[in-house]
Amino acid sequence: MKLHFADYLIISVYFLFVIGVGFIIKKRIKSSNDFLNSNRSIPLWITSLAFISANLGAQEVLGMVASGAKYGIMTVHFYWVGAIFAMVFLGVFMMPFYYGSRARSVPEYLSLRFDEKTRGLNAISFAVMTVFSSGISLYALAKLLEVILHWDFDVSIAIAAGIVMIYTFLGGLTSAVYNEVLQFFLIVLGLSPLVIVALHDAGGWQNIKAQLSPEMTHAWKYMGDTKSNPMGLHFMSLIFGLGFVMSFGYWCTDFLVVQRAMIAKNMNAAQRTPIIAAIPKMFMPVIVVLPGIIAIALMQPALASKGFQIPTNSNGQLDYTMTLPSLIAHYYPTGLLGVGITALIASFMSGMAGNVTAFNSVFTYDIYQSYFVKNRSDKHYLMVGKMATVFGILFSIITAYIAKSFNNINDFLQLVFSFVNGPLFATFLLGMFWKRTTGHGAFWGLLAGTAAAALTHGLTVAEGKGGWIANVYEVRSGMGQAFIVAGISWTANFVTTILVSLATKPKPEMELKGLVYSLTDKPVYHQNKWYLKIVPLSIILIIITILLNILFF
Amino acid sequence: MFVMIKRFNELSFVIGLFFFILSLILLAGYLFSIQLADTLNLYTGIALSVFGVLMMIVKSNDDK
Repeated sequence: MKLHFADYLIISVYFLFVIGVGFIIKKRIKSSNDFLNSNRSIPLWITSLAFISANLGAQEVLGMVASGAKYGIMTVHFYWVGAIFAMVFLGVFMMPFYYGSRARSVPEYLSLRFDEKTRGLNAISFAVMTVFSSGISLYALAKLLEVILHWDFDVSIAIAAGIVMIYTFLGGLTSAVYNEVLQFFLIVLGLSPLVIVALHDAGGWQNIKAQLSPEMTHAWKYMGDTKSNPMGLHFMSLIFGLGFVMSFGYWCTDFLVVQRAMIAKNMNAAQRTPIIAAIPKMFMPVIVVLPGIIAIALMQPALASKGFQIPTNSNGQLDYTMTLPSLIAHYYPTGLLGVGITALIASFMSGMAGNVTAFNSVFTYDIYQSYFVKNRSDKHYLMVGKMATVFGILFSIITAYIAKSFNNINDFLQLVFSFVNGPLFATFLLGMFWKRTTGHGAFWGLLAGTAAAALTHGLTVAEGKGGWIANVYEVRSGMGQAFIVAGISWTANFVTTILVSLATKPKPEMELKGLVYSLTDKPVYHQNKWYLKIVPLSIILIIITILLNILFF
Repeated sequence: MFVMIKRFNELSFVIGLFFFILSLILLAGYLFSIQLADTLNLYTGIALSVFGVLMMIVKSNDDK
């Protein structure tokens, strides 16, 4: 792939705009609250698009296209099973606690609901995870640019990290959120022509269905038996592992995404943020899953004349991660190629900025202010927030180089993250809906869940991974193994939290008002229009999601 | 001019302007450069310009 002047011009215009956004926002930053929380003043359409965009990093975009090519239409389960329901649940049931408690972060909510040790455990693990995720994102960007454009690895790291540092340092969370919205449109508009042209070239959806084996184009039909579908999954493990544990664990508790709803102007907007975001999320498979399916169809004998091929890796196997870049290289002419590459760069940078802005909030409020330096002026915490931004990016750069030296560290870190994230939703579910849950229960539940996740991974093997204690159970796919690990860790957390809570003393009910469902006044709204009402809107979304699942059954 | 500068505070305007500039590069390239003379650039350029103009003229009154 070779870029020309017009392509470089488009990339330069993008860089200019993202830095420009930082300078525009800079003059609004007067306090730590402005910098770290956007002063809860962001309009609904921006919070909604930022909410979905925070999850639309390049690993997501490249990964979903790759999964589309590898597993076919089953990849849509990550949207129609593993996202929409959890987003609706967050909006209807959980946002009133996050927003209404006036907590500035998810760990701070844990502190209000439980105690400091639960907050500390969550804050430290989250801060470490975000800074490593940011570094992995940076590494992946530099690696991709090195492979497809032959750009120097060090230069790519320096430019990407430098630009992210400028706009997040200048404008904090608002700047990151505004750029996430720009990135959302860039990905959708930058990749839409690819979908249209490639789909047309492949002869349309009916021809794709005719070319591929039926399990590649049916989302549910072949999930009754693990041997019949490319993911090697039974529908029950998909529904529980992905649809419940992993999905709710991510969308309802990960501060990176929840933070976008917490900066809305009011409670109603905060509740509607994930619900409105669910609308584009529902149709995102058209942009990020369909190209992968088209790519595989184009490689079938009947369409071989189209000349498209997914590159192979050193083992001679298809390198699915390169599906999207190779489609862009195949179909996009000079000019539009610049738009496509800019969309990829934007998604990497946005993923990094999202992690850094979540990290600086948690570090400043939940670690520095809570455990190290209390009761200082707001100016002091603003300075700490800005310094955390700089150090967050520096740590990301270090992580990127560690990842370059030790290739397996990516897999290892992702695995550790899943151990920590998997059981988290049980803590929130019990904390928000069972007033008897105690701080000790939450803390030991989290530890037990994480230990159970590590143990399950150590006793199961899938695609040669895991089983580092003993090979007790063989799982057909890595994804299936991830769902089993998540399910067991969630159950371990849930049971441990209940048992320890029953044996320990709960907080007085007076202290739990606004933090637990049964002790909180439900928000009452007086909107006349149906689309402003949270529950009717949610029901409509769920019905459409179910219909989509039926349509592609 | 002052109104124009003021509108830089609106995200919808900034996004619109960004895509309008992108569309100009694609359309100008299609018209004046052999390298960019591809119908895909033309159609995408037109689509991006329509989107860009719409985003610029829409007044999102909740932007500050």
